[in-house]
Amino acid sequence: MQTQKPQKFNLIGLIIVALFIAFSINPILGGVLIVATIIFIAKNPKFLSSYLSALQKTPQPQSDLDKNNSIASFSSIQNLLVKSRMVIPNQMISTSLFKPTRLEKRKKYLHVALNSTLEEAREIISQLPVSDRILIEAGTPLIKIYGTEAVSQIKEMAPTGAYIVADNKCADLATREVEMMANAGANAATCLGVAPIETIDRFIEECQKFNIDSMIDMMNVDSALSVLKKLKKLPNVVMLHRGVDETEFSKEKQIPYYQIKQIKGNYDVLVAVAGGDTIREVQRATFNDADIVVVWKNFYQASAETVQLAESFLKEIK
Amino acid sequence: MLNRRSKYLQIAFNRSLNEVREMIAMLPASEKIIIEAGTPLVKKYGQNGISALKNWWSEKIQKPGYIVADLKCMDRGSREVEAVAEAGASAATCLGLAPIETINEFIKECEKAGIDSMVDMMNIEFPFEILQKLRKLPTIVVLHRGVDENEKNREKQIPHDQIHRIKGTYGNVLISVAGGETPRDVVRTFFNDSDIAVIWRSFYEAPEDTANLARAFLKLVK
Repeated sequence: MQTQKPQKFNLIGLIIVALFIAFSINPILGGVLIVATIIFIAKNPKFLSSYLSALQKTPQPQSDLDKNNSIASFSSIQNLLVKSRMVIPNQMISTSLFKPTRLEKRKKYLHVALNSTLEEAREIISQLPVSDRILIEAGTPLIKIYGTEAVSQIKEMAPTGAYIVADNKCADLATREVEMMANAGANAATCLGVAPIETIDRFIEECQKFNIDSMIDMMNVDSALSVLKKLKKLPNVVMLHRGVDETEFSKEKQIPYYQIKQIKGNYDVLVAVAGGDTIREVQRATFNDADIVVVWKNFYQASAETVQLAESFLKEIK
Repeated sequence: MLNRRSKYLQIAFNRSLNEVREMIAMLPASEKIIIEAGTPLVKKYGQNGISALKNWWSEKIQKPGYIVADLKCMDRGSREVEAVAEAGASAATCLGLAPIETINEFIKECEKAGIDSMVDMMNIEFPFEILQKLRKLPTIVVLHRGVDENEKNREKQIPHDQIHRIKGTYGNVLISVAGGETPRDVVRTFFNDSDIAVIWRSFYEAPEDTANLARAFLKLVK
């Protein structure tokens, strides 16, 4: 069992031993050390969660031991006990601590874009159901009004481990913008598909460097495919839409659903579709193979609507 | 508001606010200098960044200074314009690549907020075509090349020939040209009838030289 666990376990053991020694020397020193470890763990939740996920694997060797006991019925009961006791609570802890820093394929996501004010963002985030399938976006207006503060504050408001998208809509100087957004705590940043190809290439490269997802926003791009063709590397996500102003002023333009299959057939990327206002529209988008559906929370809309949409999304789309 | 007869030098700031403060303190106090809050600066500090620039520059020249918020609007322009006007900006920018509806809305919104509208023609081959489609003209048209494109591909040129064509057809728009960095580039920009020359790289690379650079460039602005 000891060999299964990586160095992380030994490190935690070391910390505990160090705490004991410190306490025996001087209780104040021990107290200081405890505070220091708590701060360290709070700052690096990944450290603990990887430790917990290592723990999760421990029931398996235990069941091997049980088989050696040769009493089959007993071992199966114990297996059940072990699983129910060990696995379930650990899973709960680790999902709450583990950060889904990257998106997974084969999962459907709802992407809630917050564009009004930070106060409203707080209100809506507190009402949103907690799920790793809900992505929270700091919208462009929020970023331009509050700066990177918008991203870090939304990150703080959101449940630990929530996936935060910074909709910075990069058009130039990609290096600086990606760095800023990643440092503010974003898990993904966006770049315009209409930007110069050099900028998009640089953007994707930089996102990889900072280990965040790159999203290319194809607003006002005629053919997303022809943009993708020119790129050196593929982005993680391609976002298709019509633009909010466009939807407001000329309603007849359609979301190009047929493009989703075209893109996914040719390239290994996730496709996000913007503009789902009702659950029916969201269903239609996922039915058409979209991986992510973006819904906007505008400042004139009631937040209850968005919350309801998120709830029915989790219920109806799996 | 800008004087149509005069030429202006626009300096874009993308550094941290502390450094920008020092650089602004070094600039000569001249109304011919326009201070731009670059896109990264706006995205980093938001409204606060713009009002800080406004305060520092107005203090320096003892008059309300002209601040450009380089928003590069692509979408949802109305809220952003309102926000930067409130923060003290005198002009905001919108991408020419944005949907025409967005640009129209942006220009209308700028008029409502009482600030100048700038349409940034980055990555557009024929700015003319965009202008034709608009319901109303913007106050200023910005011709330039992206920084990232410039670094990777130095062959593409600033479209000086476009200036005459645009001014000939649409007499009352001002033209701003970005991308030239040497005094020679700036002279050429003005010689080709541009009203505003945007520079930033030389200031970015040598912030301690701000005063000398600005004086050298100001001499070229008649």
